[in-house]
Amino acid sequence: MAISTNQLWEDPSLEPELASYTSNVLPLFVKGLEGREELQALDVGPICGSNITFFAQRVKRLYVCDMFLCLDRNRRKGLPLSRVVQYLDYPPKSFDGILLWNLIDHLNDIEVRRVVKLGEKMLRPGGMVMVIVLSEQAIDQPLNSFVIEDGFRLYLRPQPHLDFPFHMRQNREVLALLAPFTLVKSFIYRNGIREFLFQRD
Amino acid sequence: MLRKSKSVEKGSVPAASPVSMGEKTIISEKISIEGSIQGKGDLVIDGSVKGSIELEEYHLTVGPKGKVEADIHADNVTISGRMTGNINAGCKVEITKDADFNGEIKAKRISVEDGAYLKAAIELEREPQKKAVPIGKPAEDKASSPEKAPITLVSEADKGN
Repeated sequence: MAISTNQLWEDPSLEPELASYTSNVLPLFVKGLEGREELQALDVGPICGSNITFFAQRVKRLYVCDMFLCLDRNRRKGLPLSRVVQYLDYPPKSFDGILLWNLIDHLNDIEVRRVVKLGEKMLRPGGMVMVIVLSEQAIDQPLNSFVIEDGFRLYLRPQPHLDFPFHMRQNREVLALLAPFTLVKSFIYRNGIREFLFQRD
Repeated sequence: MLRKSKSVEKGSVPAASPVSMGEKTIISEKISIEGSIQGKGDLVIDGSVKGSIELEEYHLTVGPKGKVEADIHADNVTISGRMTGNINAGCKVEITKDADFNGEIKAKRISVEDGAYLKAAIELEREPQKKAVPIGKPAEDKASSPEKAPITLVSEADKGN
C-alpha cells in the first residue's frame, strides 16, 4: 500500500536531516547485479571518487557520464536542456544497472520520459535502475551529490557549482514517469528522501 | 639541464622546445606535438599533444591548460586539463575539478574531485590478496542504528492494491 508522503511531512517527528542516511535501495541494487557476467553499470552523476571506487570494485566496467555537468554546460551555452539526452549515446543493452540518483528532480516530465526511454533501451533484460527523489525540503537546498561511504551510507555533499530548477513530484507521478520499468521496492526516510528501485523486464 | 628520452615522429613546434626541470619535463602552453612520446621521467603537459604517451613507471600530468588526445600508459596520471583518449595507469589516476575527460581509464585507484567533467569507462584493478567485497550485504553501520527504519512506500506486490 502506498503511503502519502504529505502525511509523513506533516509529522513533526520527521524533521529534515539532509546530511546522511543509510540507503536501503543501494544494497538491493548491488545485490540485483550480483552473479551477472561481464557486469556493466552506468552512473549519471554527480560523479564522485568514492562512488566510482565503490562500484568499480563490484562491476567489470563502470561507465560514468555526468549528466548534471552536461545540463550545466548546455545551460551556459544557451542550449535547450532537452538536448542533454544526446550525451547518453550508449548502445542498446549495454548496462546491468543504471544509477539515476536524483537526476529526475532536475528535469521536466518530457525530459524525464526521454531519459527513461533511453534507460530502457540501454538496460539489459532484468537490469536495475536506482532513483532518488527529494522532498519539498530540498527546494531551498543546494544540489547535492550522494556520496557512498561506510558501507551503504549516503552522504549528501553540496555541489554549489550546480544550480538547476527543482521539480517536486508525488510518488504517483514518479511511478507514472518510470512506468516502462517494474517497481521492485521503494522507501521514504525521515529526511524526506524517497528511494526507488526499478527493474527492466 | 637534462633532456628526457623522447621521440616526436611528426609535429609542429611553434615556439620553444619542451624543457626539463630536474626529473620533470614540461611541454609548455605554446607547444603542440603530434606523434608518440616515450620517456623515463615525469612529464607535464600544458600545451597540446595528439598521439600516444608511454611513461611506464612515471607520472604524467595534464595541466589546466593542457589539451591531450592520446592513449596514455604511465604509472600515475593527473588530469586537470582537457583530455580525450585511454589511460592505462599502473597505479593511480587523479581527475581534478578543472578536468574534462572523455575516454577509458584502467588503473589500480582513482580519485575524482567534484566539478570534474567525466564521461568514461572505468576498470579498476582488483587486488588479489584482498578479500572480495561482499555484495548485497550492508556493512555494519553504527551511525545508522539510532535512526528510525525507513518506511516502505510501495512494493511490486502492492501495486494496484
